Amino acid sequence: MRIHMAYRAALGLALLAPAAGCGSDSAGPAPTRLIVVAGGDGQSAPVATGAVLTAKVTDVSGTPEEGVTVTWSVVSGGGTITASSVTSGAGIASGTFTLGQVAGQQRARATAEGVGGAPATFTVTGTAGPATQLKKSTGDGQTGWAGSPLPLAYAVVAQDQYNNPVAGVTVTWAVTSGGGTLSSPSSVTAASGAATAVHTLGNTTAAQSATATVAGLTGSPVTFTATSTTGIRLVSTVGVPANYGLHDTFVRDGLAFLCVWDEGVFIYDFGNGIAGGTPEAPKRVGSLVTAGGNAHNAWWYHSPSGSKRYLFVGEEGPGSVGSSSSGDIHVVDVSNLAAPVEVGSYHMTIAGGTGSAGTHNFWVDEANEILYAAYYNGGVVALDISGTLPADLSSRELARIQPGGAGNTFVWGVMQYQGGDLFASDMLSGFWRLRYTGGAFSVVGGGNNVPERFTSDLWVQNGYGYTGGWGNRGTQPGNAVKVWQLGAGTPLLVDSVITSGITTVSDVQVSADGKLLVFSAENGPNAGLHVYSLAGSPSQPVFLAKYLVAQGLHTATVETVAGRTFVFAARNPANPALMTFEITSLVP
Amino acid sequence: MVLAALPAALRGQGGSTSATIAGRGIVAATYSSREPLGGDLAKLQVVQPMLMAHATAYGGALRVTSTVDFEAWTIPDGELTIAAWGEGFVDRRHPHTVLHELMVSGVGRLADAEFSLSGGKGFAAFGSDDPANRLTLRYPVNHHWSQILERAVLTGGVLAGPVMAEVSLFNGDEPEYPQESPNFSRFGDSWSARLTALPVRGLQLEASYASVQSPEHRAGSGTDQDKWHASAQWTRPLAGHPFYAMAEWAETVEGDGLFVFDSFLAEASWDLGATRLYYQFERTERPEEERIFGEPTRSVRPHLEDAILGTTRWTLNTVGVGRDLLAGGGALRLRPFVEASYITVASAGPGVFDPALWYQGTDFWGLTLGITVGLGRTAFSHLMGRYGVSEDILGRSVAPHQH
Repeated sequence: MRIHMAYRAALGLALLAPAAGCGSDSAGPAPTRLIVVAGGDGQSAPVATGAVLTAKVTDVSGTPEEGVTVTWSVVSGGGTITASSVTSGAGIASGTFTLGQVAGQQRARATAEGVGGAPATFTVTGTAGPATQLKKSTGDGQTGWAGSPLPLAYAVVAQDQYNNPVAGVTVTWAVTSGGGTLSSPSSVTAASGAATAVHTLGNTTAAQSATATVAGLTGSPVTFTATSTTGIRLVSTVGVPANYGLHDTFVRDGLAFLCVWDEGVFIYDFGNGIAGGTPEAPKRVGSLVTAGGNAHNAWWYHSPSGSKRYLFVGEEGPGSVGSSSSGDIHVVDVSNLAAPVEVGSYHMTIAGGTGSAGTHNFWVDEANEILYAAYYNGGVVALDISGTLPADLSSRELARIQPGGAGNTFVWGVMQYQGGDLFASDMLSGFWRLRYTGGAFSVVGGGNNVPERFTSDLWVQNGYGYTGGWGNRGTQPGNAVKVWQLGAGTPLLVDSVITSGITTVSDVQVSADGKLLVFSAENGPNAGLHVYSLAGSPSQPVFLAKYLVAQGLHTATVETVAGRTFVFAARNPANPALMTFEITSLVP
Repeated sequence: MVLAALPAALRGQGGSTSATIAGRGIVAATYSSREPLGGDLAKLQVVQPMLMAHATAYGGALRVTSTVDFEAWTIPDGELTIAAWGEGFVDRRHPHTVLHELMVSGVGRLADAEFSLSGGKGFAAFGSDDPANRLTLRYPVNHHWSQILERAVLTGGVLAGPVMAEVSLFNGDEPEYPQESPNFSRFGDSWSARLTALPVRGLQLEASYASVQSPEHRAGSGTDQDKWHASAQWTRPLAGHPFYAMAEWAETVEGDGLFVFDSFLAEASWDLGATRLYYQFERTERPEEERIFGEPTRSVRPHLEDAILGTTRWTLNTVGVGRDLLAGGGALRLRPFVEASYITVASAGPGVFDPALWYQGTDFWGLTLGITVGLGRTAFSHLMGRYGVSEDILGRSVAPHQH
């Protein structure tokens, strides 16, 4: 069809040409014959191979002419072609176009005496030959954070013998040293000939390498090497209004609940998917100002039935450290995370003093549907949080205890250990082991064991407890993390980590895998984030890294998002913010 | 500068217009026998360096009062004053803001009553006169209980016979550093009222109330204060020599009653010719806050929480003697003085702050040798914090008393 159309077009031009030439001194001699494409145009062939082209020569009336010499030439592509050939009785002449070595369109033409300026033009696509070699493209020699993906993907290119990219080649990837992982065990080359894989480095500063392999190709396997560094990496900073700033942050399922004092609770997607946020670029989902403001801490409760309806928010009101406090527990319905609604609260009244106490940190025994709340001078309270919660949770109170007794109780935090005993950190009376059974609390052991410092936050894991210190008790700064062997009864102090240049260890946590001890520090030149290894022994933390923040960090929450370990830390006023650090590289 | 601000038409109109400008400062060598974390300390400082201006026009119907304070440069780390506190300083008296006051007042009469409306930056109608206008160099501990100053304030007053009533609207936030302006967006969130009476010659009685929103948190989310103040002042010669005495009580209730701070202060002076003898007794409670690492005389700012470490009660006895060397001379005024204090501190109620541990003891001695240098006719008589009718009532009661 194409040939036919071309023939007709050429014929038409030829018939018109004499008329057009009348009166024009510049016109050349009128053509006496025509040459058109007869076959081979538009074909594909491997580079450096021959493609047969045919042309047809006729007189101006369309009658084939025999014995006409057709001259062939290469227009582009760098190949070669038959110099000339003679037409047959059907007016057909053929030539062999040996394509150049570069893949892509290549052109040739045929002409003959008397055809004027209208040769027959042929286009042939030269295709890459079979892959014969594998070459390194990009991504080699990078430096990245141990345990984290490298910024650039590794890329190799499959090529034929003439260096043309070859698509459809399956490349096998493998880590050869350093213990990292690759985004895929194999990938297929694209039209560009490239295949890629992302290398997540192993948690080591040792040599890190990976290979790309295609059997039988020259250059295979291709080896990539990377240098890994370890440390604390700031991945994002989310500023909050300078209104007492950010206090605690609760992170679960890729969502972070920021407790921003009178600004309320901000909900951010850090990888949940609800708003497309990531640790590097978190997205705000919703917010709520709870009654009374002073939002300090939160716990997003997942019930045994699977309900995720309730968020408990702690209000930290004014108080006099060691003697009085204020602030309630607020219950927020977060069924619609974009529009949370407060639906209840709990207020503690106590005998003596100001007649009330204020809440601080929570722990929820989700299996048994009990919320344990530290309540400063009120001690520890247990609340039944099963089912639909009433507006006033006072009827849900199960038990309470002032472990140090009236006047010697100011509980900062409470935490359950392996679904059993509770441990409490009391600013005045130290580290306690409590038990809740039969609807009542009892003291198992401990207490009055940190006389020289005010005790702050706690964490229990690995059979050990870790407690921080706060402010100055007399002239003794709260610059210690104390390590306690939990045992079965009274906790036994086995070690302490003293950090110079701070007065407060404000938040303590062990990573879920039990390998890292993380704490935030305030007030002093060493304020910031401190990370210790527990891999050698949970009783003997070993310093790994610190990230100093001049204003200090008020809290630090360790959580895993998409397999990476992050710390969500609250930077203090005057420019408060949630600082998200990745510490994956530090995980032993 | 203040004079320049006056309309040109009001200047130079004979008796209807007047203006004064004066400056003063105090060079003081102060010793404290005990400091936070132990030890003693002596310092030579220039305190209260000020330029003061006062202008009137239309026979006193229009008035401008201004004081510019240079303490930002002479005592950036505060004045050595054990027991003083406020605006992030502890055991140091904080420097005042550069523009200490700039108030414009309009005064009128209706029948036998005098009315005034004053606006600008300055003192709210509350409590007693500023300590800089009184006897001792040592600022009382109750500075933040008995005065409200350096605010954007609008005060209306009426003086009728022996009774004066004033009401102020102002912003609750205290300054955080000397160059800071009031948070004008908060103007009107706080108010005060003061009632003053002169029942008999020489006696002034005063009672005040103030509702101050979030003074310690500039954005407005801090705890609020209800402040009460009452005082009695007596100014009559004693044995033929000028005598002045004042007693005041102040109470600040903060955090809906969670914190209550009380103060009682009494002071007296007796002028024997050019020599003044004076004494001040004070018992005042103050909050204790977390101090900054390595800076035991500064507390953490901005606030993280509304918690305090406890309350301490300070008892101070201060005695001093001063003498005007050039009282009858020209513009230069010199008043050397010596002032000694004995101070004790104790915990007031529960809390974790233990003053005995923090100071390595609970009693303090202080001694100051100083000289007040004044330049200008009103160097020693310019009164801060009195505007409109509050200024006029002075003529009916007391003469200014200054260290």
